[in-house]
Amino acid sequence: MSKPLIVEHLTKSYGPGSLAVDDVSFEVKQGEFVAIIGPSGAGKSTILRCINRMVEPSDGRILFEGNDISHVQGKKLRDARRRIGMIFQHYNLVYRLTVMQNVMHGRLGYMSTMDGILNRYKEEDKEKALKLLNKVGLLEYMYKRASELSGGQKQRVGIVRALMQEPSLLLCDEPIASLDPNSSKVIMDLIYELTKEWNISCIVNLHQVHVAKEYATRIIGIRQGKLVFDGPPSELTNVMIEEIYNTSMENLMINGEVRAVG
Amino acid sequence: MKDYFMSDVLVEQGGFLQGKEMKSRKIRINNPDNDRPINIFIGTAVILSIISIFMLNIDWIMLFSRVGELAGVFIELSQFNFTNFDLVAVAFMESVTVTLLATLYSLVGGLLMGAFMARNITPSKKLAGVLSSYNSFIRAVPTPIWVLLIIACLGFGPAPGIIGLSFHATAFFARAFSQAFEEVPQATIEALQATGANRIQIFFSAVLPASMTALIAWSAMRFEINFSESTILGMVGGGGIGYSIAASVTGYNFGRAGISILMVFVFAYCLEIMFTAIKRRMKA
Amino acid sequence: MADKQKHLPLVDGGEKKMVTIAFFVMLALFTAATAYTQFNPFTILKEQSTFWNFITQDFLPPDIAKAKGLWSAMLQTLGMALAATFIASCLAFVFAFLGSGTTAPYPWLSKIIRAVGSFTRNIPALVWSFILVMAFGIGTSVGLIALTVETFGFLLRAFIETIDEVGSESLEALNACGADYFQKLAQCVIPAAIPGYISWFLYCIEVNIRSSTIVGMVGGGGVGLVLMIYIKSFKYHVAGAIILAIAAVVILVDLTTNWLRKRVLV
Repeated sequence: MSKPLIVEHLTKSYGPGSLAVDDVSFEVKQGEFVAIIGPSGAGKSTILRCINRMVEPSDGRILFEGNDISHVQGKKLRDARRRIGMIFQHYNLVYRLTVMQNVMHGRLGYMSTMDGILNRYKEEDKEKALKLLNKVGLLEYMYKRASELSGGQKQRVGIVRALMQEPSLLLCDEPIASLDPNSSKVIMDLIYELTKEWNISCIVNLHQVHVAKEYATRIIGIRQGKLVFDGPPSELTNVMIEEIYNTSMENLMINGEVRAVG
Repeated sequence: MKDYFMSDVLVEQGGFLQGKEMKSRKIRINNPDNDRPINIFIGTAVILSIISIFMLNIDWIMLFSRVGELAGVFIELSQFNFTNFDLVAVAFMESVTVTLLATLYSLVGGLLMGAFMARNITPSKKLAGVLSSYNSFIRAVPTPIWVLLIIACLGFGPAPGIIGLSFHATAFFARAFSQAFEEVPQATIEALQATGANRIQIFFSAVLPASMTALIAWSAMRFEINFSESTILGMVGGGGIGYSIAASVTGYNFGRAGISILMVFVFAYCLEIMFTAIKRRMKA
Repeated sequence: MADKQKHLPLVDGGEKKMVTIAFFVMLALFTAATAYTQFNPFTILKEQSTFWNFITQDFLPPDIAKAKGLWSAMLQTLGMALAATFIASCLAFVFAFLGSGTTAPYPWLSKIIRAVGSFTRNIPALVWSFILVMAFGIGTSVGLIALTVETFGFLLRAFIETIDEVGSESLEALNACGADYFQKLAQCVIPAAIPGYISWFLYCIEVNIRSSTIVGMVGGGGVGLVLMIYIKSFKYHVAGAIILAIAAVVILVDLTTNWLRKRVLV
């Protein structure tokens, strides 16, 4: 499958007259690293959540690995979701549980209800979790409560949890918006390297344009729910950025970096 | 972290890094040190509760065989009897006014006592300690017992209810308010001390505004409790709507008991909705 | 001009207005209620000597030796409080999942459950015991059920609020992982909500120790009944001893629950 995700005419409205997402269509090829940029409130988060149906689309189709998942329910929806990893701005961990317990949640979609409730994870899955935790440098924290970690460490747990799902697509919703610059770089590097290593397609919502330009193989610009740009980073000119953010370049420049303040 | 876990991790780490067989051992995912206190607590609570249930010697078979009669009781209660409704209304008004006055009096008393009890603003730590143990004692005796004692020496009427409820509620507010005051950051108080403000000024311009949200929440909560308590008073010898319920039930006037209970429910329900709305607005 | 500058408002106008309105509403209610009940707060001062005479002469010294069956009755009261809280929390544990907005599988069922909860908690336990006496007759079981019913309503609301507070973000993550309903409860909601549940459970124990004493006074048995017997027969020295014993036990329970909060809820 060369195109694991096709989004066709995606529309989401919250009540009459307020379109959060307005007729957005795009495709994601296997292994592509796509960044979605745009001012806050433009609908980036809604687009991402429509893809794995955390938000119900009002109209349009989502084709994931060749199947139309825009209306599936129950078991079929869960089967689709377990192949789509998701990383959140606020990490969304269960903070009272250990790092290891949080990481193993990524396997729940592959288990029977009873096995999931009783923590009967497969030993090989646990070994895989250890390897991944080692890779992100959290092995020694495996029995710590998630609440005891720093923000960057929490996000690394989030990444491992998503990768435990063995996803073919990774959705990252503002993964570095709550982090300091150093942690942000660590997190973006990890997401970039791991998705590349495993040939996972990745869609990242970002509001830092320079980060998007640095990592993405393709950039999608969203303004007021509409897709206004779709192309490689090299084609994202300053004029284009100004159009996406509806403001002049000077307003977006902070310390010489293009940084859209959301 | 205990050595036990650390060594465990290292063994596993060595295992997979060197590709050696390590299937003989299961990898633990939880941390027993985290779970133990809660597990012990829940285990003990379950055992003690089951012992208690057996100790009470309840005839469960009899109980379940009469569940049908409970439905009959509700049907009888729902056939409202409006004759002499004015008596019920007067009793209800008595409960409401007793609640209101008791809450207001104890609010004033509790604020005063709370200010003296809060360790960060009290003029005397000794006084704070004395007040605090006095209030723990008052709170430890259930309200209706206080009311019974006051009825025994003052006679009937709304006064024993108001005094008895205030007695208990003041102690409740004193503790709640003093805790709220103690949560006000020391820096705020010191900042005002530096400007030369005296105790009373500090209390009114820093401590009180900073703890206002907590005070309102506690007052709302106590108002609800006070209404429920004032209902109870009538059933143990005081006046008010509780007396109307008790007298109607013992006199087989279920229709009037029903209307009295409904009034209690509706009032308590309205209070709950009102206070939930207020709390939500304060949070927003 | 310079003088006026000193009176810069410290709080914003809206809040100040609210406080003023609240103050006047309370004042009006106070006046109306005082007029209605004819309650004169100075009666306390006037009758103070009567009250203290009554306490010091009729109640003191407490006569604990004559309080027969006090400790077994006390144990029964404690047992009733614990049993009622336990049964109520088991029921509330299950129904809170169906009632909370974040975990309810069916919205209509959640509405029904919340309505039942608000009905049971807004009728005081003692009123419930009167209703139940009509169906079951007098006995310990009535006290137990009355306490259970009221506590269930209270804990249902408390547990639902706990789930609402801890739930939505981590639940979203488990949803995205493809976890099913029961997996989400076991792996996310319960571990996150357990400390909140325990804290409310302990609070209800504290409240129910007092309530079960009161329920006992009107026929539920236990130490309340023993106390009532002595008060009604004017044996105030014994009653005084029982009241002190109740206070001691309640303080002991409060200390225990506070200690448990520190030990368990870390």
